[in-house]
Amino acid sequence: MSHIHINLDHVTFSYGKGQPVLNDLCLSAAEHDSIGIIGANGVGKSTLLKLLVGLELPDQGEIRIEEIPLKKQTLQKIREKIGYVFQDSESQLFMTTVEEDVAFAPRNYGLPEEEVSRRVDAALKRVHIEHLKGKSIYRLSGGEKKLVSIATILSMTPDIILMDEPSVALDPQNRRNLIHIIREFEHLKMIASHDLDFIWDTCERTILMNDGRIVWDGPTEEIMRNEKLLTENGLELPLSLSRR
Amino acid sequence: MNQAIRELQSLESLSKEDRWVNNLHPLVKLFVTALFLVLTVSFDKYNLAGLLSMAVYPLVTFTIADLSFADALKRLRYVLPIVCVVGIFNPFFDRDIVMQVGSLAVSGGVLSMLTLMGKAILTVLAGYLLIATTSMERICLGLRMLHVPSLLVTEILLIYRYLTVLLKETRRVTNSYALRAPGQKGIHISAWGSLAGLLLLRSMDRAERLYESMQIRGFHGEFYTGRQESMKKADWIYLAVWTAVLCALRFLPLTAVLGGWIA
Ligand SMILES: Nc1ncnc2c1ncn2[C@@H]1O[C@H](COP(=O)(O)OP(=O)(O)OP(=O)(O)O)[C@@H](O)[C@H]1O
Ligand SMILES: [Mg+2]
Repeated sequence: MSHIHINLDHVTFSYGKGQPVLNDLCLSAAEHDSIGIIGANGVGKSTLLKLLVGLELPDQGEIRIEEIPLKKQTLQKIREKIGYVFQDSESQLFMTTVEEDVAFAPRNYGLPEEEVSRRVDAALKRVHIEHLKGKSIYRLSGGEKKLVSIATILSMTPDIILMDEPSVALDPQNRRNLIHIIREFEHLKMIASHDLDFIWDTCERTILMNDGRIVWDGPTEEIMRNEKLLTENGLELPLSLSRR
Repeated sequence: MNQAIRELQSLESLSKEDRWVNNLHPLVKLFVTALFLVLTVSFDKYNLAGLLSMAVYPLVTFTIADLSFADALKRLRYVLPIVCVVGIFNPFFDRDIVMQVGSLAVSGGVLSMLTLMGKAILTVLAGYLLIATTSMERICLGLRMLHVPSLLVTEILLIYRYLTVLLKETRRVTNSYALRAPGQKGIHISAWGSLAGLLLLRSMDRAERLYESMQIRGFHGEFYTGRQESMKKADWIYLAVWTAVLCALRFLPLTAVLGGWIA
């Protein structure tokens, strides 16, 4: 049995007193899973990822990460294992320079300074943005911000990565590079995206959401060819297929 | 707006440059700044000459920190006039003549006005020097070392970050307004209410996400700057010299002594 996994048991969640955004969700993911989360705008993909890092807590049901129940008391421990890339990378970066932002997490973990700078260099190298190291966050382009925010989580060396729309704003070359990075990452990863081709390239398993529920869960290959299911849920065939 | 953001950024990058004043221990700089403020403010309201001698601190610090005084004045151009207004009514209340400069009779009011202005300007300059040579994170670190509660220090840091967020959001909102209302000067008064409300909501939202981003990357109210933060010899010397100089300027009758020499 593998270690690193996620378990959601009948999770229901709503913002404030409104309609539930996630409705009685059950899901389990194992160590080497690569999971794409797809669905139309507003179906609750980002919300699901936020719950997994404890930025929101479920109203009902339980979330377990590596057998640890996600609660206020266990948040710190759980968050050290998870790297989460925000949908909006503007909000993810807050230090003055790229270097400091990427070093933020390892420093918070109290690592010695040589190790911090080693990790910073490695993370920057991995996303091919060594040249941005000393640059001010304020002066980055949209895509560069995205790459930096990916580097900020790679420097945490997480066990699990969660990414919300990682391919948005990337040029073709950086997009391809990101696909490589994600494929190389050997542990559990979950990626929410509208970019079905990207999901296809990075994830073996796909979850289709609609209205706060999981409508379909299975091999990516299968769902990507199921035009009926996709259109019923407000999506379209991946470009690479529909062109053929 | 753009300019405000840029200036905030450039001030911040200034504080991160590798100059020896920047590298001094944050506690030392906090202490010297605090001491300077207390001593400056404590001058008698007619003691303009004594007060002026305190200008040694900003003058010397600007020089040794290799900061541009002109830039500082430019950045403080909105603040300085405001603080200068503080004593403006004193001349009307206090008309006794206390001093004769040549044929000009100086009333107590004028003198106390000048003193008050001097105090305000020196205070602002000292604050500027602290910020320009010490990054916010290191100031926060210094405060934590003084056992200021971490909640309060986090709050200070977040307010500081929030300022940037607010400025950026403001720019975005005004830009998108301007693009959809071409040919209009400024923002029509009818839109102020909704824009201000929107701005508040959006910037709060953004600030919250920033805080979330800090949290999920292991922030728990402690600050790590990645430097060796123990007091070094240079720190002790800096501390000792300024404490001695500032106290001497404040408590020894230096101006009288100097005046005696000249006379
Ligand atoms: N902070 C919030 N407060 C209240 N409602 C929210 C909040 N964030 C999201 N929602 C609502 O929750 C629902 C799900 O939002 P979520 O962001 O999870 O969707 P999504 O699937 O990520 O959409 P997208 O594809 O557009 O990113 C939406 O109806 C949205 O309006
Ligand atoms: Mg989303």
